[in-house]
Amino acid sequence: MKILVSGKGGVGKTTVSGTLARAFAQAGHPVLALDADTNPMLGVSLGLGPEQTDLLVAVREGLETGETEHERSLDGFVERFGRDAPDGVRLVLASRIDRPDPGCRCCGVSAEQLIAELDGEGRIVIGDLEAGVGTVLRLETGQADVVVVVAQPTAKSLDVARRAIDLAEDRGARVVVVANRVRDESDLAAIEAAVGSDRELVVIPEDPAIAAADRDGLAPIDVDPRSPGVRAVVELADRLAGSAVPA
Amino acid sequence: MSPGAEELGPRLAVAGKGGAGKSVVAGTVARSLARRGRRVLALDSDTLPGLAFSLGAAAPAVPPLNAAVERDERNRWRFIAGVGPARAVQRYATDAPDGVRMLQLGKTGREGQAPYLAATNAFYMVVQGLDAVRSLREWAVIGDLPAGPRQIAFGWAPYARRVLLVVEPTWQSMLTARRVGRIALARRPGAELWLIVNKASAPGDARRVSEFLDLPARCAVPADDAVRSAERAGEALLDHAPGSAAVAALESLAEQLDRSSIGV
Repeated sequence: MKILVSGKGGVGKTTVSGTLARAFAQAGHPVLALDADTNPMLGVSLGLGPEQTDLLVAVREGLETGETEHERSLDGFVERFGRDAPDGVRLVLASRIDRPDPGCRCCGVSAEQLIAELDGEGRIVIGDLEAGVGTVLRLETGQADVVVVVAQPTAKSLDVARRAIDLAEDRGARVVVVANRVRDESDLAAIEAAVGSDRELVVIPEDPAIAAADRDGLAPIDVDPRSPGVRAVVELADRLAGSAVPA
Repeated sequence: MSPGAEELGPRLAVAGKGGAGKSVVAGTVARSLARRGRRVLALDSDTLPGLAFSLGAAAPAVPPLNAAVERDERNRWRFIAGVGPARAVQRYATDAPDGVRMLQLGKTGREGQAPYLAATNAFYMVVQGLDAVRSLREWAVIGDLPAGPRQIAFGWAPYARRVLLVVEPTWQSMLTARRVGRIALARRPGAELWLIVNKASAPGDARRVSEFLDLPARCAVPADDAVRSAERAGEALLDHAPGSAAVAALESLAEQLDRSSIGV
């Protein structure tokens, strides 16, 4: 299954992606977590720590300075630009780089290409996309099974969310809206009014454990797996995976 | 050097992680500078909505700059006859409150950026030519850059003499700012980095960010529910909560920016 996480910058895409990935892994699924953000930070939310995350980014950026060797195969790509995160999640960095070597697959590869080519059979591929709607716009029909659109109750975030929902539906994906950092009924009402009340919606309440994780560079699921925000994401993982856990 | 060249107005680009508060800083500082008597051009180089909300301006559905360029016989973009960077600003910038003028890229919609390719190219041509526009020399120019550390973002801000790094006291935001700062200095040698710590809530937040980035905090904007409330309403912070602590901090930032001279 291939799941993409989209939304405005700063709404919590990376937190949702990292926590979903860990939740799937804890439930026994093989997970490949793809960091396709131009500002790759998924390692932090997966629990790799800020410094390890930054080192991995340096490997990817080394392509621009010649410090990193190029990779021709998809497996080599996953090996060179990846790292093992807790619970057996494999993190791979696919951030776009600005000066690709002409014709080189590993540095010219786009998030949408990788998503199309990576095998989603028997495992979960989860992609943390760059802010905005660019990657979803460039996807072709059928390339993603689920697009999770993360929104906060602000005008800008809802504007981006509506665009992402339209694009994802055009491309045949199941769309799940995640209403993030919801404090009260009026926050939720604002989001429902913008995305439609009949939509598949998951509510993540404002959660001090997640704020503390952001501050300290930790995975929310490690800070407090029982906090309401983390639990909401774990429930979403259960719902998306259904009951089928591979032996 | 021509007479008056030393009077170049503030030339600012606002950068940082998505959600750090770039647009709120850009919009509020733009209007504060205008209230201090500056002519202000606000540049929205993001393909997502942001600056117009934070300025409290109406965003035109079709960017007026779409009309500023045409294809030449070799299919390359050029300004239409009689238009250059100066005239493009004069003719195609739209009004925002307090007399601020706003110039916008097209926004990404269901059809993507394609319908606004003309505006995107026109915008790029305008920003490349801004430094040479004499009629705008004393203006403050403030650009809201797209989120994150992409090198090319700075290709869209060749006017910037100061880069305002908007940073929250979180690891993700600080790591992003460190990358953005390095890229900014590589792309614009001699540019000044001004650290704006946003959403500071605990004692020591500003110092923590400042030490990590090895930059003095020029401004610490406190975490303020008024900002959240303004964002929810889709209104400019200055209109929604003029008496808020966040506005006070940003007004004092505008004052510093207005006063301190620019090395040209």
